[in-house]
Amino acid sequence: MSSHASDKFVYHEPGLQHQFEDMKQQEESVSIGMWMFLVQEIMFFGGLFTVYLVFRSKYPMAFAAGSNHLDAFWGGLNTLVLIVSSLTMALTVYYAQKGNRNMQVVLILLTMFFGAVFLGVKAIEYTSKYEDGLVPVAGLNKKVKENPNAEHGAAQAKPCYEMGHGAEHTYINPRGEFQWVDCSLVKVAEKGGFLTPEEKIGYYSNGDIDADKFRDKVRIFYWIYFVMTGLHALHMIVGIGLMTWLLWTAWKGTYSHDYFAPVEMSGLYWHFVDIVWIFLFPLLYLLGRHFLH
Amino acid sequence: MQNADAIITDSSGEPKVNYLTNGSTIKSWLLTKDHKRIAIMYLVSVSAFFLMGGLYAAAIRLELLTPASDLMESGTYNKAFTQHGVLMIFFFLIPAIPAILGNFLLPIMIGAKDLALPRINLLSLYFYWIGGGLTLYALLQGGVDTGWTFYTPYSTTFSNTFVMAVGLGIFINGFSSILTGLNFIVTVHTMRAPGMTWFRLPLFVWAQYATSLVMILGTPVIAITVLMLAIERAVHIGIFDPAIGGDPILFQHLFWFYSHPAVYIMILPGMGVISELVSNFSRKKIFGYEFIAFSSIAIAVFGFLVWGHHMFVSGQSIYAGLVFSFLTMVVAVPSAIKMFNWTATLYKGSILWNTPLLYAVGFLGLFLIGGLTGLFLGSIGLTVHLTDTYFVVAHFHYVMVGGQVIAYLGGLHYWWPKMTGKMYSEFWGKISAMLVFVGFNLTFFPQFILGYQGMPRRYASYPEELQVLNIFSTAGASVLGVGLMMPVVYLVHSLFFGKPAGDNPWMLPGLEWRTSSPPPTENFETMPVVTWEAYEFGEENGLDTEEARRREAVSTVS
Amino acid sequence: MQTNSWVPLFPDQASSFAWQVDYLYFYLIIVSVAFTIPIVVAVFVFGIKYREKEKFATPEEMHGSILLETTWSIIPFVISMTIFLGGAIVYYNQYRLPDDGMEVYVVGKQWMWKLQHETGQREINELHVPVNRKVKLTMTTEDVLHDFSIPAFRTKADVVPGRYTYLWFEATKPGKYHLYCAEYCGLNHSGMGGYVYVMEQSDFDNWLSGNVSGQTPVEQGRDLFENKLGCASCHAGGPAQRGAKLEGIFNKEVKLVGGNTVIANEAYIRESILNPGGQIVEGFQPIMPTFKGQVTEEQIVSLVAYIKSLSGVQTGTTSAPPAANTNAAQPARASNANSAEQ
Repeated sequence: MSSHASDKFVYHEPGLQHQFEDMKQQEESVSIGMWMFLVQEIMFFGGLFTVYLVFRSKYPMAFAAGSNHLDAFWGGLNTLVLIVSSLTMALTVYYAQKGNRNMQVVLILLTMFFGAVFLGVKAIEYTSKYEDGLVPVAGLNKKVKENPNAEHGAAQAKPCYEMGHGAEHTYINPRGEFQWVDCSLVKVAEKGGFLTPEEKIGYYSNGDIDADKFRDKVRIFYWIYFVMTGLHALHMIVGIGLMTWLLWTAWKGTYSHDYFAPVEMSGLYWHFVDIVWIFLFPLLYLLGRHFLH
Repeated sequence: MQNADAIITDSSGEPKVNYLTNGSTIKSWLLTKDHKRIAIMYLVSVSAFFLMGGLYAAAIRLELLTPASDLMESGTYNKAFTQHGVLMIFFFLIPAIPAILGNFLLPIMIGAKDLALPRINLLSLYFYWIGGGLTLYALLQGGVDTGWTFYTPYSTTFSNTFVMAVGLGIFINGFSSILTGLNFIVTVHTMRAPGMTWFRLPLFVWAQYATSLVMILGTPVIAITVLMLAIERAVHIGIFDPAIGGDPILFQHLFWFYSHPAVYIMILPGMGVISELVSNFSRKKIFGYEFIAFSSIAIAVFGFLVWGHHMFVSGQSIYAGLVFSFLTMVVAVPSAIKMFNWTATLYKGSILWNTPLLYAVGFLGLFLIGGLTGLFLGSIGLTVHLTDTYFVVAHFHYVMVGGQVIAYLGGLHYWWPKMTGKMYSEFWGKISAMLVFVGFNLTFFPQFILGYQGMPRRYASYPEELQVLNIFSTAGASVLGVGLMMPVVYLVHSLFFGKPAGDNPWMLPGLEWRTSSPPPTENFETMPVVTWEAYEFGEENGLDTEEARRREAVSTVS
Repeated sequence: MQTNSWVPLFPDQASSFAWQVDYLYFYLIIVSVAFTIPIVVAVFVFGIKYREKEKFATPEEMHGSILLETTWSIIPFVISMTIFLGGAIVYYNQYRLPDDGMEVYVVGKQWMWKLQHETGQREINELHVPVNRKVKLTMTTEDVLHDFSIPAFRTKADVVPGRYTYLWFEATKPGKYHLYCAEYCGLNHSGMGGYVYVMEQSDFDNWLSGNVSGQTPVEQGRDLFENKLGCASCHAGGPAQRGAKLEGIFNKEVKLVGGNTVIANEAYIRESILNPGGQIVEGFQPIMPTFKGQVTEEQIVSLVAYIKSLSGVQTGTTSAPPAANTNAAQPARASNANSAEQ
C-alpha cells in the first residue's frame, strides 16, 4: 500500500484491490482479463484441433475405428453431466448476485458434484482403455501374461482379426503395449472405394491389410484422444479447485450484489471447459459411428 | 494544472520514499506486487540471459574466424548456435522490452497505480524463472543441438541432446509471455487515467498493446507445439515421423504459425520505443500519430498470415508460395509508413542529440536495412537462392539486434533516470551508442554478401574463399561486444555515483515525467487528469520550461 | 571456377536462370538504395538543421498530412508489388520442371549426398553434369531433412523424408561449383557437401566412359525386375498375368480398383513397390507382396528408371543430340538384357 494514500479518504469496499479506483473498474479489468485468458486457451486447444484435423483427413478410417471403440454412452453421459453442471454454475452466479448464501453453497456443491462425476466417468473410461491395451504408450497398459480365454493355444493376436464391437480381446500383452487387431473398417472402405491416398499407403503391405501399420494410425488417434481429453480433464481438476475456493468464500458470505466477480469469472472458466468438451465429444466419439451399422 | 506543481517542486528537501526504498528485505522483492519492482527483477534476469547468449555469440564468431572447425568441433558449434538462438529469442528478445520497459512504464504512462493484475504479473516473472531455470539446467547437462527451430524429425528422433528439457523450458516461459500480454491488454482497456483517451495514449503503449495481441494469440500455439514435441520425444507416437505415418512439415507449420508473429513480438515494442524517442527528443508531436498507431495493429494482424514464407523451399505448392509471398509484401507497407513518419517528425523540430536519440537514429538506419532485406527474402524467386544462407542470418540480426536490441538500449537510457533517479554519463553513453552502431554494421553487413555467395547458415566450417568476409564479421563482433558491455559499466556506475536526475530532466510531457524519479510505489501522489494530447510540449500543458531553464543554468554553473 | 577477387561479391552465374535471380537482386538493391539514401539524408539534414538551439524550446506544432500519408503508403505498396511480380516470374521459371531433362537421382543421408546418373554412374558428394543440358534431380532422404543447394545455379530445394522433391537447372558455364546441404541436419551438417562439375559435352562423355562402373539404372532395374526380385514372373505382360502390364504406363492415367484414377508417375511406382495394396489397378487382385525393407531407395530409383524405359520415356541421354545416342545405346543394352532373361 502506498505510504502517501493516508491523506486521501480511503473507504473499503469488500475485495477492492489497491490498484483500482472503484469496483466497476476492478470488475471490468477482471472480466477482460478472463476473456483474454479464454482466448489464449482457445488458441492452445486450437493447436491440438489442427493436429486432429490434419490426421483425421489423412487417416479417416483409422480415426473411425478408434472412435467406434470409445464408449459413446459414457461420453454422452459426460456431455449431459457437463451441461447440467453449466446450469448449476450459471445459477450460482445468479444467486451470488442476489446475495443468497445458502443457494450459492448448494449450487456450488452441485457443480462440484457434477464435475466429480465427469472425472469419475473419465476414470472409468481410461481404466477400460488400460485394460483393452489402448493407451498409446508402451508399458502403460495392463500386462496380460497369459490369455484367460484362449482357445486351443491361439494366444497370439491374429493380424486383422475381425471382431464385433466390444468383444473380448483374445491376445496376450506381456509388455503392456498398444494393441489393435480389428481392421474391419479398412475392408469396408476398400469395398466402398473411399480410402484416401495416405490410407492406401498407410494401411497396407504385401497387398494385404497390415495390422501393424493400421495399428500405428489408430495409435495416433488414441494419442490425440488422450492428450485432448487429458488436458481437458486437467482443466476440470483446476475448475474443481476453483469451486472449492468459491465454496469457502461463498460460505463466508463474501458475495453480494456489489461484489460477485470471482463467481462470475469462475463461471466463465467453467463454461469454457464445458464448451471444449462439447467439441471434443462429437469429434472423438461420434464421427465415424455410422460405420457401426 | 493541478499536478504541474508535483513535477517541479522536489529534487531538494529530504528524500521521499520511492518504490526502491519502500522495503528492502528479499521478501519485499520476491513477493512484491509492484510492477516497477517486477520490472527491475526482469531487468536483472533478462540481462543475465543476454550475457549468456552473447557469450555463445562470441564463441560462434571466434569459431568462424577460420574456415576449418578448429576452435570447436562441429557438435559443440551446433550446440553453441542453438543455445545462442534459444537464449536470445525466448529469454531475451521476447521479454526484453515488454517485460522490462513495458512493465515499468506502461502503467505510469497511462496514469495507473499499477498493472490491472499485479499478482498475475508476479506469476509471469516466476514462470520466466522456472522456464529459464529448466533451460539452464538442460544447458548445464550438455545442451541441445537442434537449432532453435527444433525441426522434426531431427529433434524428435535423431538428436541425442536435451530437447525435452529445453522444450519444457520454452513451454513454461511461454506462459510468462502470455500473462504479460494479457495483463497489458486489460490494463490499457481499464486503467487509463481520467482524460487519457485511446488517441492520447503514447505510441509506446499502442505498440505494447499490439504486441500483447500477438502474445495472446500466438504464444499458446508454440506452447502446445513444443509440448507435442516433448511428448513425441518421450513416447514416439510418430505424428511428426513420416516412417509411422506422421508429417514433419506439419511441425513447421505449427512452429512458424507462432514463430513468425513472434518476430513482431520482438520488433513492435522496439518501434514503440523509437516513436517515443523521436518525438520527445525533437520536442515535437509525432507526425501521423494515428498512422503509426494503426500500422502497429496492422502489423500484428498481417503477421499471422505470412508464416509460410519460412517454408518456400520445403516443398509447399506454388500457389501457397505465391500467396505467402504476396502477403509478405503487404506486411512491409505498415513498416514503411512508420519509417516515413519518424523521419517527418524530425522536420522543424528542436532536436536534442543525446544518447537515446543516437540509438533511435541508429535504429532508423539499421531497421531500414533490415526491413528492405526482408523484401529480398519475401520475393519468392530470390529467396530460393537466399533462404538458409547467411543472408537470412544478416537480415534477422538487422531486425532483431539492429531493431529490438538498439531500441531496447535506447529506451533503457531514456527511462534510466526515471527508473533509478540517477543520470548516467552522457559522454560514455554516446560513445557506446556509436560503437554499437559501427560494430553492428561491421559484423552483419558482410554477412549479406556471404549469403549471396551462398554460404549456408549453421556451418561450423566453410570454403576458404569466404574467409575474408568472415574475418570482417568477427572483427566487427568484437567492437559490438565492447559497445554492448560499456552500458553495463557506466549504468551500474551511475547507480552509485550518478548525479540525481530530477523528475523531468528533459522537460517532456509524458505522464511518466510528471511523477518523481524514482516514482513512489503507487506511481502518482494524486490521480493525474490528462488534458493534453500525446506529445504536446509547451507551458500550457503544465511544463514550466522557464523554471527548468533557470535550474539548468544553475546546475551547469555549480 | 570461383572468382579470385580478394573479396568475392557475387557467386558465379552458371545456370540458365541465374541471371534472372541476379537481375531481381540488382533491382532490389536499387530499390533499397533509393529508399535508404533519401531517408538517411533527411535524418541528417533535419538533425543538423533543426538541432536544439534553445534549451527546452517548443517548436511550432505540425499536423499530419493525409496526402503525404497516402502517398507514402501507396508508393511502397506499388513497388512491393513489382518485387512480388518479379519474384513470382523468376520462381515460376524455376518451379516448372523440364520434360526433357537428363535425370539424376539424389538420396540424402546424414551426412552425405548419394547421387546416381541414369547411365549408372554413382557419385558421392560430387555431381558431374554437361554444360547446356537441362538436368532434373529427383530427391529424397533416408533420415532427416536436408537441402540440396548450388549457389552458382541460384537454386536449392529441401529434401524431405517419405517424399520426392525435385530440382532442375541448366548449367551454362563449365567449372567447379560448391554443393551444400542448406537445411540443418545434425552433427556434421557443414561437412555435407561437395562440388558440382560442369563439363563440356565431350569431357562429360569421357568422364562417363572412364567412370562407367557398372550398369545403367535401367539395366540395374531390369536386372532387379527380372532376376533379383522376380517382378517379371507376374509383370511380364502376358495376357494371363497376375500383375499389371507395365509397358507404356509411365505418366499415363491408370484406373484403380474403386473407380479412382491415378497418374503412374515416380511417386506412384515407388508406392506400388513399397505398399502394393494401397493403389490397385483395376482388374487385378491385391496379391503383390511388399518390397519394403528388401529394396533400398537406390534400387527403387533403378526400378523406376526401368519402368520408365518400358514406356519409351527417354529422359535424357549421355550426349548432346539426345535422339541419336539413345537410339544407338538402348537397343544394345536391351539385347544384352534379353539374353540374360530366364
